[in-house]
Order: sequence, then C-alpha cells, then structure tokens
Amino acid sequence: MPTFEYAPGLLPPRAKPSGGGADGDDPLHGELLELNMGPQHPATHGVLRILVELDGETIARIEPEVGYLHRGKEKTCESLGWRKFFVHTDRLDYVQPLMNNVGYALALEKLGGVTVPERGQIIRVLLCELSRIGSHLIYLATTGIDLGAVTMFFFCFKQRETLYDLLDAYTGHRMNNTYVRIGGVYADVDERVQDAIEQWIAQFPAAVDEFEKMLTGNRIWYDRNHGIGAITKEQALAWSLNGPNLRGSGCDFDLRKAQPYSGYERYDFEVAVGTGGDCYDRYLVSIEEMRQSARIVQQCLKLLKETKGGEFLAEDRRYVLPPKDLVRSSMEELIHQFKIVTDMALPKGSAYHGIESSKGELGFFVASDGTSTPLRCHIRAPGLMNVQAIPMVAMGRLFSDMVSLIGSLDFVMGEVDR
Amino acid sequence: MSAPSANALDRVQSGLAALNPKSIAARDGMPAFEIEAEQVREACRLLRDACGFETNTFVTAIDHFPAEPRFELFWQFLSVQHNDRVRLSARVTGAHPHVASIGDLYPGTQYSERECYDMFGVVFDGHTSHAGGLKRLLMPEGYDHFPLRKDFPHQGIEPDKLYNAWFQRRFERHEREHADV
Amino acid sequence: MGSLKPVDEATTQEGFLATRVDELINWGRKNSLWPMPLGLSCCGIELMAMIGPKFDLARFGAEAARFSPRQCDLMVVAGTLTWKMAEAARVIYDQMPDPKWVIAMGVCSSSGGMYDSYSVVQGVDMILPVDVYVPGCPPRPDAVIDAIIKLQRKIEREQPLKARLSGANLDHGIGSKAFVRAPNHSVPTRGSHAVLPPGELAP
Ligand code: SF4
Repeated sequence: MPTFEYAPGLLPPRAKPSGGGADGDDPLHGELLELNMGPQHPATHGVLRILVELDGETIARIEPEVGYLHRGKEKTCESLGWRKFFVHTDRLDYVQPLMNNVGYALALEKLGGVTVPERGQIIRVLLCELSRIGSHLIYLATTGIDLGAVTMFFFCFKQRETLYDLLDAYTGHRMNNTYVRIGGVYADVDERVQDAIEQWIAQFPAAVDEFEKMLTGNRIWYDRNHGIGAITKEQALAWSLNGPNLRGSGCDFDLRKAQPYSGYERYDFEVAVGTGGDCYDRYLVSIEEMRQSARIVQQCLKLLKETKGGEFLAEDRRYVLPPKDLVRSSMEELIHQFKIVTDMALPKGSAYHGIESSKGELGFFVASDGTSTPLRCHIRAPGLMNVQAIPMVAMGRLFSDMVSLIGSLDFVMGEVDR
Repeated sequence: MSAPSANALDRVQSGLAALNPKSIAARDGMPAFEIEAEQVREACRLLRDACGFETNTFVTAIDHFPAEPRFELFWQFLSVQHNDRVRLSARVTGAHPHVASIGDLYPGTQYSERECYDMFGVVFDGHTSHAGGLKRLLMPEGYDHFPLRKDFPHQGIEPDKLYNAWFQRRFERHEREHADV
Repeated sequence: MGSLKPVDEATTQEGFLATRVDELINWGRKNSLWPMPLGLSCCGIELMAMIGPKFDLARFGAEAARFSPRQCDLMVVAGTLTWKMAEAARVIYDQMPDPKWVIAMGVCSSSGGMYDSYSVVQGVDMILPVDVYVPGCPPRPDAVIDAIIKLQRKIEREQPLKARLSGANLDHGIGSKAFVRAPNHSVPTRGSHAVLPPGELAP
C-alpha cells in the first residue's frame, strides 16, 4: 500500500523554534507569514489563487483556490444541446482547442455508436498532435518567462505563430477553431495546407534542438528544476495524475498506446518516460513528446496522401448534417438538417471516453435520457488534478520552487474551472 | 498491452462479491456496477486493495429531478497495471443527500468531491482535505445555490449578489474614511 | 495670462517648438501606453501572441506590459470575467493611477459573449468604464492593435488641461458612484430549466 508523505487532512506540524543554532536567536523564527498569490499573477498561468503560509522561505501551508474562471460549461451543455456544445469545448483548454473537440466527439460517438471513416481519423490524429505541440510550446514559453529565460517566449511563439498560420489556413481561425464534428471533421485538409504543414514539421525537430540548447544544459534552468517537486509513481497514481506528470515519474502509461482511439495503434511513436518525477523530468518528457508528435504528424501526412479523396465525415444521417449542396436542392435534406440542428437526440445511456491530452487524461462523461436535452456532460479535466497536487508537492519546499512547480505541473485555468 | 476491460468484469465481480453489486450494461462497454450508497467506502476499499484500481478518474453526479431517488452518483476508477476501468454508481434520495467520502482512500478525489458538493449539494461525510473540510470549489464561498441541479436556471439566480454586497461594503468604507475630505 | 511675454531675439535664434500643453500631454500619453494585461482566458493567449515576435506591439509604443497595476495606465481585459473574479478586477482597476483607459478584448469581456450563464459577468462594462470594445472570439492580434490605435486617437482628443483647471471630478475610482449597480435579480430563463424562487432551492 502506498504511503504518503503528506496525509490528507492533516497539515504537517508547524515548525517550532528550535532553540540554539543560528536561527534560534531570531525572534521571528517560527513565525508564519501569510502570502496571497493571484488571482492575477503572471506566474500562476491564469487566474489561479494560491494562499501560502511561509516559515522563513519554507512553505508551511499552501492552499490553491480555483474557480475564478468558472463559466458553467457543464450547465451550458444541458441548455444548448449536444451539437452546439462543440464550440464550448474549444474554450476548455484553450491552448489546444482541437484536441478538446476530438475528446468530446469521441465520447458522443461512443454513446451514439458512430464510426468515423479512416481519413477522418487520420485528420483528427493530425490535429491532436499539432495541438499537443502547440500546448507544450505554451508550457515552455510561460515557464521560461517565469524562470528568467525570456528568450524562450520568443522562440516558442515564433513556432507557434507558424502553427497558427497553418491552422488558420485549414480552419479559418487562429485558435478556438471548432473543426471536429460527430462522425469526423468538418472539411478535408487542402493539399497546399498539407505541404505547408510538411514544411513546417520538417524544420520543427531542429527548433526543438534549439530549445534544448537553451535549456537542457542551462545551469540556471537545471538548478531551478532538478530535484524540485519530485512525485513518486505511487503518489502520482493516488493523486489521480496522468499524462506527462505521471510519465515523468517513470510510469509508461499513455492512453494513446494503452487504450488506442482514432487509430493511434497504427502510428509508430515512443512514449516518453522520466525517472525521478521532478520538474526537470517533466520538462524532458514534454520536449520528447514534441519530437514524437512531430513524428506522428509526418506519418499522418503520409497516410493522408495515401487516402486522398476518401471520406472524412461519416454518412450517418442520425447525427451528421447532410452536405450543403443537397440541402440547397432538396426539401427532405433541408428538413433533415433542421431536425439535426434543433433536436438531435442521443440514445439513452451513458458513456465515457478519455483521451491523452497534453496535460493528462481529458475525459468526457456523457449521459443522455434519450431526449434532445443532454442529461449530463461531465468533463474530467486533467488540469484540475494537476492543481490538486500542488499542496502535496510544494509542502515543505522553498517558496521560490513554487514557480517551477506550477509551470511544470502544467495546467490551463479554462480547463481547471470549466 | 491487453485490451481494456478484457477481464475487469470478472476481477471486480469476484473482488466485490461480498457486496453483491448489480452489474449494469453501459453503452460504452465499461464494466459498471450499481451499489448501495452505504457500501461506497467498502466497495472503493476493495477496488483499491483487491482489484488493483490505483487511480480515481472522477466523482460526479446526475440530477434526475423531479424523479426520486433524485441523485445518481458515479465513481470511476482506472487500473494502470491491468489497463482497464470500472464505474460504480449509487443512488441517493432527497434534496440534501449524504454519502461517505473516499478522500482518504483515494486522495485524488478531494477536488472531485468538493466539486460535486459545490455543483449538486451532495455532502460527502468525513471529507478531509488540505482546504480543511468540505468547501465549495468553483463557486464563491457564500453562494446560496447549487448550479448543476436541474431546478437551477442556466442564467443563474442573483449572480451578482455577492459582488454587489462586496462593492457596497467597500464603497461605504471609502465614504467613511474620506468623510472629512 | 499676464506672465506671457513676447518671444525675444535669443529664443528665435535657438529655435523653439510651439504647441499646446494639451497636445504635448496627449502626445506623451498616447505613445507610451503601459498595458496591464488582465489575461483571464483564451484571449490572454492571443494577447501574448500580440506581444510576441510576429505582431510586435512595441511598434505602437505599448509593449511595456507590467503585471503591477500601479505602473500601468491601460488595462486590457482579455477573457471571460466571472463574478468571482470581478472583485479582483475591480481592485486592480482601482489601483491603477489616473489617467487610465480600458480595452475590452473579445466578446466575453465586451458583452459576456457565448457565456450566457450563471457565473459570467455580461460585459466588463457592468463593473468598469470601457473605452474600446474589440469583438471577436478571440479577436486576431491585428484587431487589438487596431483597438490600440483607436484608443490613441481617443487620447488625442482629450483635454487634460481644461479638465484639470475646471476641477471636474475625473475620478473613476472607488469614490465614483457610477458603478454601484442596482441589483438585477430578475434574470430571464432559457432552456428546459424553470426558475424557482430562491427560498425553495437553498439548503
Ligand atoms: S471572447 Fe472567445 S476567445 Fe476570448 S475569452 Fe471569450 S471565449 Fe475565449
């Protein structure tokens, strides 16, 4: 049975003046200082508020407070209906909008029993992996700024801007694209866009090398990350951590391999696994995941060439809108479209689907009572679990370590608060 | 790796045999069991110790208002070593339901339980966490309602009440302090 | 006005610049806006992109983003403002020294946008005075740069000296009654949910 350094509900005993020693004479020794960080603080990556009690520089008590971005997504789903909620999934983890679309679509497809055509699956994987790269770029950029490597921000955003342009060319918007639908994706990837992605992804590993040159051997980066915030595998599991945070602790559990979805089993990639579970390991895992994602993207592009002209949206008329030209020419199809848009019902029952997002397992638990009003859509946000782990990891550490810790646990408040 | 849920059903059925759970056919093919609300702690302990489910994925609820029993609670677990999942559910009645907390068995459920309380008003007895007891997670402390209940309107009830009260207090303090100016 | 004296020979020799004090002040203000990025959600990411290498806000003299409100005069509300966060946003606004301007970036901060829900402020102008609204979800960085140019135009038209001399109350801060709102408790319903009087819901 795993034992925890930090028992839930029991705050560790407060530091007592030790008497004697250098600090013993200090009249303020042992006196706690309360500090409020956030909700508007650059190092909290959004609107997270953290209350800390400091003993000197050591954290004696810490409590994150979330909810400053709670927009009532789950309630919104019940009001809007299944289809119209797609746009809201983008805004969950807004640094990887398309991946959230995919997770939601997969859950609905499980409930409705829809099969996605092959090309649709390939495009989805392509979008997922591009999103993963984008998300890790944001992690590197923001954590870089927080730890003093401001150049990282410019390096990462240079890459991300190109990524934005690619997605812009494909979907028509830079972020919050909403391009995934039940049964596939909204439109096929244009050949020119494919070429542009190919060009970009060809230079991307070199860019990752550049990041590594900046950070991996960098003394400051190493010292501020190595050995900080170590999580053992047992702790990570007990505290419901997944994704890079679990893999950094040496557990090679990746939903893309373990429970493949969207045809991930046909791609050749490796799962990045750390050893020590500290911030530095999590950083290395992210770096390696970017390289592996680039590999998958390349394979996707190859597969896209092979399946050229294939179906990318299922012909399932229960949930999928009829093609636009038919709607314009036929009355039945128009009525059909109207029916789907206004009251599309999913069969009675419940389904869960979890995907490997860049921060952990992003799951959607959807329940329907057979009518067009959703009964429940619960979003299992990996970010919330990452925030939850902050006290477990930060307790008893130096206050300055908090910055690397918050950065490396990697959460986005849109998803944490929903 | 084994395919998910290949043997989870048998494992859980033999592990939880003492509690005699009711197996449910879920639409996603995941092994799902319905148990009595009083058995939750025991069932989760067995899942952890006898069936090898190390991780809790979520704790949540569904409000079946106005039907009774009103709330259906869900606990979903993942086993990394066996690579499969299981979902437990239990029904509780009434508008102010209570159920036992499993925060000490699975520390990762602390926030999920707080969220469930915040959104549905389901009280998890014995909940302990670093925040000290069962508190609201997402809505501000002091909010009167539970937003995800079906009888709560989407656009809310007095959403700005707390802000207005705060602003009024602040304004009055400002007036007092600058009364002489 | 008796202190005005004619330009003498020596000054004409050295050269001088004739301007109005208002224009001088406005010129200084508009070209050195210090934004306070209140990055609340998705729009905050676009705000970062705007400061980043491609869009490069520095070209418009507004790149000195500070995370301390006391050093800033332009607040960019980028993202969804919730009622829980509203208190913090208002405190931040009050901490900024006058003169100060606000840009509401994105439909969320302009009008609540797609979040017609129980926890979202339906437009930051419910709690703060806003100068420029930028639609879009998220607005492209170009649009926000356009908003900054519009704000600069607006600053050009201001008359700081006159306002100062006339003794008008320019205070947008805590002392201003303008934003103590009347309680708005009769919210309409939507969807399948019915409103029950609060008494019947509360525990
Ligand atoms: S306007 Fe759109 S992009 Fe901006 S914060 Fe709101 S939802 Fe996000």
